[in-house]
Parts: sequence; structure tokens; C-alpha cells
Amino acid sequence: MPKEVPRQVYLPRYFYKDDRIRCGAMKKKKLQSQKKEVRTAWIMMAPALIVLGLMQGYPIVRTFWLSFHEMNLKRPQSGFPLVGLANYAKVFTDSRAGVNILFTLKFTVVTVLLELLIGFIAALIMNRAFKGRGIVRAAILVPWAIPTSVSAMMWKFIYNDQYGMFNDILYRLGIIKEYKAWLSTSSGSFMALVITDVWKTAPYMALLILAGLQMIDDGLYESAKLDGANVIQRFTKITLPVARQSLLVALLFRTMDAFRVFDLINVMTGGANGTESIAMYSYKQLMTFLDFGYGSALAIMIFLLVFIIGLIYMFFLRNDLAAD
Amino acid sequence: MTKQVKRAAAVALAAAMALSQNVITFAEEAADKITITFAFDEGVGTPTEEAIEAFNASQDEIFVQSYHLPQDANNLHDDFVNKLISEDTSIDVMALDVVYIAEFASAGWIEALDGLYTEEELGAYLDGTVEGAKFDGTLYAAPWFTNASALFYRTDVLEELGVTEVPTTFQGWKDLYDQLPEDSGIDYAFCFQGSQSEAMVCNWVEFLASFGASVLNEEGAPACNSEEAIAATQMMADLIGTYAPEGTTTYAETEAQQVFQEGKALTCRTWSGTWNTFNNPEESDVSGKVGMTVLPVNAEGDTAHSCLGGLDLAINTYISDEQKEAAKTFVKWLSSEEEEKAFCLSSSQPPTVKAVYSDADVLEAIPFYTDFYSIIESGKGRPASPDYSILSDAIQRNVHAALTGESSVEDALNALQEEAEALQ
Repeated sequence: MPKEVPRQVYLPRYFYKDDRIRCGAMKKKKLQSQKKEVRTAWIMMAPALIVLGLMQGYPIVRTFWLSFHEMNLKRPQSGFPLVGLANYAKVFTDSRAGVNILFTLKFTVVTVLLELLIGFIAALIMNRAFKGRGIVRAAILVPWAIPTSVSAMMWKFIYNDQYGMFNDILYRLGIIKEYKAWLSTSSGSFMALVITDVWKTAPYMALLILAGLQMIDDGLYESAKLDGANVIQRFTKITLPVARQSLLVALLFRTMDAFRVFDLINVMTGGANGTESIAMYSYKQLMTFLDFGYGSALAIMIFLLVFIIGLIYMFFLRNDLAAD
Repeated sequence: MTKQVKRAAAVALAAAMALSQNVITFAEEAADKITITFAFDEGVGTPTEEAIEAFNASQDEIFVQSYHLPQDANNLHDDFVNKLISEDTSIDVMALDVVYIAEFASAGWIEALDGLYTEEELGAYLDGTVEGAKFDGTLYAAPWFTNASALFYRTDVLEELGVTEVPTTFQGWKDLYDQLPEDSGIDYAFCFQGSQSEAMVCNWVEFLASFGASVLNEEGAPACNSEEAIAATQMMADLIGTYAPEGTTTYAETEAQQVFQEGKALTCRTWSGTWNTFNNPEESDVSGKVGMTVLPVNAEGDTAHSCLGGLDLAINTYISDEQKEAAKTFVKWLSSEEEEKAFCLSSSQPPTVKAVYSDADVLEAIPFYTDFYSIIESGKGRPASPDYSILSDAIQRNVHAALTGESSVEDALNALQEEAEALQ
């Protein structure tokens, strides 16, 4: 290890250790002025906390409350009675909800894995010094910056069986003999949705991973090289461990997002050919069928499933978090 | 940089102040009048604005302001639902798609309009549109304009083939298509809407009708898996990939119309209002070569039934009595014969008042109304039920699975029948 390493390129963990030592020393003193500062901080944060509580807390609590009631807006004469867990019981007997959850899981796993792979490769490329790197970094973010429903419309057009670009390219390459209606079959729709979602969100993944890669000091690679480590060893012993944290954070965000997929599918297939996600079904029960009780129960189920996914990631991240 | 930001902020602030001042003066102007808000979709935006202007000019007690919404029936439905759940009074009159009248009426969100029209006055409207505006025998909305599907076809192709009589059956159209030379550029005999959407429901209901079947039988019980319904659905599925594009199961109106506009199809089933688009040289390659006729039937001599759409005028039930009276005055004015005529001329939307179809001015502007009247008169609404949205969803999923071949027609319709029976 080099004797003196500039702080900004050193591993973050050591950074924090420094800070911790300093914080500890101050804690012992418990300065009067610091107590005051804490109080001021709370006061200044209070408006934001209250607004957040109202904006986020109220809908969540309200959805919970609704999910325990029979509340079909088309039947106000029922008086919307409390039915306990009946709505939740229905989720487990409703085969459509089950099929949708399985589809959503499949979609989540496939898209997130592909995004991870492509995102990682893109991040490794962007991390190298080459001419026009700034432009590439900006350009790769364009798909992510386009609103989902707009890019979904665009891709729906690309897959069109009469004048779609997708058909045109495959036809010219000689892969297909005639134009196909990709969105008219189950497998075609699934493939189309996965391609679109990966196209749209791999850049986001790449950006988060890139941030992790940038924390690695080139000196580490150089000294590893001197010690005779080959490319694979350098990747598994240096790149992966250091980028691990940002990788997991990126995965966490993407998995939770992919599980709640709605607009992309709603625009491209409308849930046809077995591509209805659980979020779409919940929306349908709420806004189209006006069954607020059952729709809310489905929404809570999504919330719980996403929460479980979050917990699993937290389990893997716990060591990194504890270090902070 | 900061200077620029400051300047921009100052401009924005000034603009905001000017805007708020406008709002205030606007409010003062209308202060001595009762102000009511009319919510409608952008699809009829301009003609509706004109109608509102005319109404405001004729009135010194009521002032109508407009509330624009995007042109998408589902979007409109969800926006209204959001408002009415919370008993919102920001909109007074709604232009509501005919299929939602039963749902909104049963939820108690819209005002019953019994007594607004005499029996005689109602007699002037197309029967189907009045029936569609009723729930449990009570009128809940005023028919504003209707919409029916028709079969558009290529007049130039028929001329070339020397055909003078337009076919009326599916077989007739297929035969014509088979006679076409290889290099005609026409790839398909039919194009229609088969994506999992409300558009497909309309198409399917029409296929059923041309085989003499219907979703609900005369007693109002579901009859989705009757022999005729299976035959009709089977034919609809068989057409896709042979006489109609393989991508039909992904088409809504726009996609299907595009195929016809590019000259690739002999016929196209879509809404009558598309006449203008098809004959607009800027948008369509076939302008001037388009004819319109009734939808094809299965056997010679049967009557085709188009699916009826359109918008009704409904009044929010949560507004004050004074507002309600004003809203009723406006609704009655907008659905009067003169206004229906004016609106028809400016929007080319089919009116609900029968007499307008034989009006000389209207016929001069829209000549096809002579033939169209019979289409609209024999048109059929979709099943009226507060649970229509659930039934429509069941039809969409099951029939679409049959069309794509994901399941057999019989299995799909049996599943649909089961779901429909569960709603009863």
C-alpha cells in the first residue's frame, strides 16, 4: 500500500472510521452549543417532516384502512362494512392475482439480471479514459430520461407488424422471412417488454455502478499488476468488492421498481397475452372496477412483497451499512 | 448566471401576478351569473368551445366555463371517478361515455333527469341513445352525440373489378379480394380492431350480431357461449392472419386505420367519424377513393348491427340545487335540435336528434348521412350494467385469448360465460 494516499480517492470505509473517532470524542464532551444545534435542526426539519408525514403517511394508512373494508363504490348501499381479512383471503384464492404475481416475478428477475449485466459492462466501458467519454456518459442516459409511457409508445410502434423497425432490421439481416406481429403472442410480448425495459433502465444501473467504480484508485490495479494478478483476479479481488455496495444499491432500486411495473406494460400490451403485472391488476380493481377494498388489499400485498425484497437486500447490505 | 436566474424568476413572478389578476377580473365578470363548469374531452374540444361561446352569448344568468380532458375514454372515466369519490363540486356537467352511465348512476354520482324532457321531446331522439342514457328505467343523462361503426371500402378497386353492387356479406368481400390481381398492392380484405381493449369488445359484439348472437339474451342473462357466438368468434379468429393482418390482435383504431390509409386493405371497420381522416390527402393515400357501407353479415339477408358509442351529458349530483338548475338549462340547450345541428356541422359527430339526419344543410356537408342513418338506427349499444367494466374486462381477456389462439374459441367463451354468470 502506498504510504500516503490522497483522501478523495481512498476507500470510503477508512474515511468513515476517521469521522467516527472524531465524533466519539465530541460525544463525550456533549457541548451545550451542540445540543442547541440539534434542537434547531429538528425545528428546521419539522415542516418537511410534517409535509412528508401527511403526503406519504396518510395515503398508506388510508390504504390499510380501506383494505379491511368491503368498499365497492358502485354499491354504496352496502354501507362499506368492516370485513377484517376477507379481502386478503380473496387475494390467495384469486387465480388471476397469483398468475400476475408470478408473471411480475419472472419479469423482475429477467429484466434486473439483464440490466445488471449490460449496466455493469457499460459502466466498465465508461470508466475507462477515452476521447468523448463525457458525451458517451450523457448519451447513455437519454433512454432513462424519456418518460416511460412515451418510450413505450415508441417501442410499440417499433414492434408493429406493418411498418415496425424491429421487423425491418431482422428482415434485412435475413433472420426472419416475413414481418411478424411481435406483440400478438405470449413469448413475443414478453421478449418485447424485456427488451424495452432493459433499454430504458440499464443506463440507470450503469450510472449507479459507475459511481462505485470511480471510488477505486488506479494505484490498486497497478500494484496488483506488479504483484502478478491477472485480469480476472483484479476484477474479482478489487473491482467487485469495492463496487459491491453501489451494485447492491442499484439492484435494490431496480428490483423494487421492476416489481411495481405498470406504465410500460399498460401502454405496450394493455396486459394482453399473459403480461398483466400485479400493479396493473390492483389499478384495475381500484379505478376500473371501483372495488376499493380488494384493490387496496392488492396494493398492500405489493407493498409487502416489495418490502420483503428490500429486507433481503438489506440482509446482504447489512455489513456495509454497519461499517458506516 | 445568478443574474439570469434572478431575471427569469422576476419574469415568472410577473407572469404569475398577471395571471392571477386575469383570474380575478374573470371572476368579477361572472360574479352576477351562476357559473357552471363543463368537462369534456379534447376530441371534441374546438366545436364544444364554439357551442359554449354561443350559449354564453345567449345567456345573462348562466356562465359556462370549460374543463378540457385528454381524448381517452378510460382516462376520462378515471378522472371523473377520482372527483366524484371525494364528492368534488369543481365540475358540474360531464360529457360521459355512454357505457358508464349505469355505473355512475348506480354509484349515486349523477343526477336523475326525469322531468327534464317530455315524452314527446324524447321521441325526437334516436331510441338507442335514449335507452343508453337510462338506468333502471330512469333517465340519468341527455344524449349528446352518438357514434357508430361502419365499413369503409376502396371504391376505386370495386370500379376496376367492374363491381357495381357493394357486397353485404363476409363471403362477398372475401370473393372480391380473391379476384384481385397479384400486383394490386392490397394485402388484406379486412382490417379491424382486435387488441385487448374496449375497441375489440365493440368489434366482437358486432361479429356476434352479424351471426344473430348477443352477449346477453332477451332475459338479460349472459349467452356468451351460444352456438352462434362460437361460430362468430371462430370466424373472427380465422380471418386474422388470412384475410386480415396477423397483427390485428395488437390493433386499436389508429393501427387498423393506418393499414387502410396506406392502401393495403380493401376494407376497414372503424368509427364513422374517420371519414374525414380517410379523405384527407395529407393523412391518407386513399383519399377520394373511399366509400362507406354497412358492416358485413354472415348470411345474405341478415341485418348488420353497428356498435353504438358516443357521449351523454350528465350532471354532478353533489353540486347545489341552484347549480343543478343552471346545469339542466345548459344540458337541455346543448341537446336541442338546433344545437345538435350546429354541433354536427362543426364536429361531424353523428347527432342524436333524428331530424338532423334529413336536414338539407347537414346532408350537403356530410352526404353519406343518407346511408348512415339506417346504420345508426339499427345500431346496438353494449350491455348496460353497473358492472359493465368487469364484463368488458372479462370479454377483453377471454376473447383476445381466442383470437391469438392462446386458447380454443370454445374454451375461451366457456370461461367468459362463467365469469359473466358470476356477475349476475
